[in-house]
Amino acid sequence: MTRVRIASVLLGAGFGFLLSWGQFIDPDRIRDMLLLRDPYMWEMFATAVAVAFVALRLLKRARVRSLLTGEPVAWSTAQPERRHVVGAAIFGVGWAVSDVCPGPVAAQVGQGIAWSVPLLAGVGLGILLSLRREEAPAKTQPASRAARAPGPVMPASNPD
Amino acid sequence: MTLLHRPDPFVLGLLLGVVVIAAFVVLNERVGVVGGFADFVERVTGRRSALGWKAWFVVGVVGGGLLFRLLAGAPTFRHGFGWLTRNLDGGLVAVVLVVAGVAIGYGAKTAGGCTSGNGLGGCATGSRASLTATGTFMATAIAVSFAIKAFT
Repeated sequence: MTRVRIASVLLGAGFGFLLSWGQFIDPDRIRDMLLLRDPYMWEMFATAVAVAFVALRLLKRARVRSLLTGEPVAWSTAQPERRHVVGAAIFGVGWAVSDVCPGPVAAQVGQGIAWSVPLLAGVGLGILLSLRREEAPAKTQPASRAARAPGPVMPASNPD
Repeated sequence: MTLLHRPDPFVLGLLLGVVVIAAFVVLNERVGVVGGFADFVERVTGRRSALGWKAWFVVGVVGGGLLFRLLAGAPTFRHGFGWLTRNLDGGLVAVVLVVAGVAIGYGAKTAGGCTSGNGLGGCATGSRASLTATGTFMATAIAVSFAIKAFT
């Protein structure tokens, strides 16, 4: 478990460093991206997805095993549901208003940006509201229905 | 080239792609940040007994920001906080940021990921759910940004 924690921190540190270097943490940079005034972020994003998309398929084809789990590199995918559209639309509004998304918020905290504090508090509250909404139907389900449909409300393939 | 200047977008994209790949090679997991924040919320509210790997990933992101700040010698951040501090008073900015944060946290958790989890990790796996979510939040954010620009 300790090795997993150390690896996770190191991967996150690399991620946070790169977000900072690319100035993702600057709301004006994100605003320029969303107003289609600066192609930088779009080019970066497309490159990252394309590189990972190709490499993951090569890893899978070569049956490479994960270093810490020993399992073959693999992933599950989900079909689109209503929550993916509704949730993403709500997220998109928050992203456009603040010009910051969750990764850069964490990197802003690391850089000591004071305005990240109220934003981070809101993110935590929003996650708590989402968790409570997920839990609510399970509590109000009739016993017979709950017995027929056990298990988590959200699919296990959540990538978050 | 110094750390205070952005690298070529294709170089930075390649490096971020390597982080996504490394998460699979090392942990067999998909990168994601809002999931890490959710781990902390679940731990604090007694919904889980221990922090998951994503929470430690977020700890690393915070550390990466700090490391960058120390090595660069200055923040990669212009004065204020974008359009908000140019148009609103400080107290109101804080309120707007809390409300925006609620939308970010609630929406990303409901959609199963943010720009990292759905946008980078999910799209790289070819998940249709992630592609749908990513297209939706990007289109929404672009539309809302133009609406904000029209009113400010």
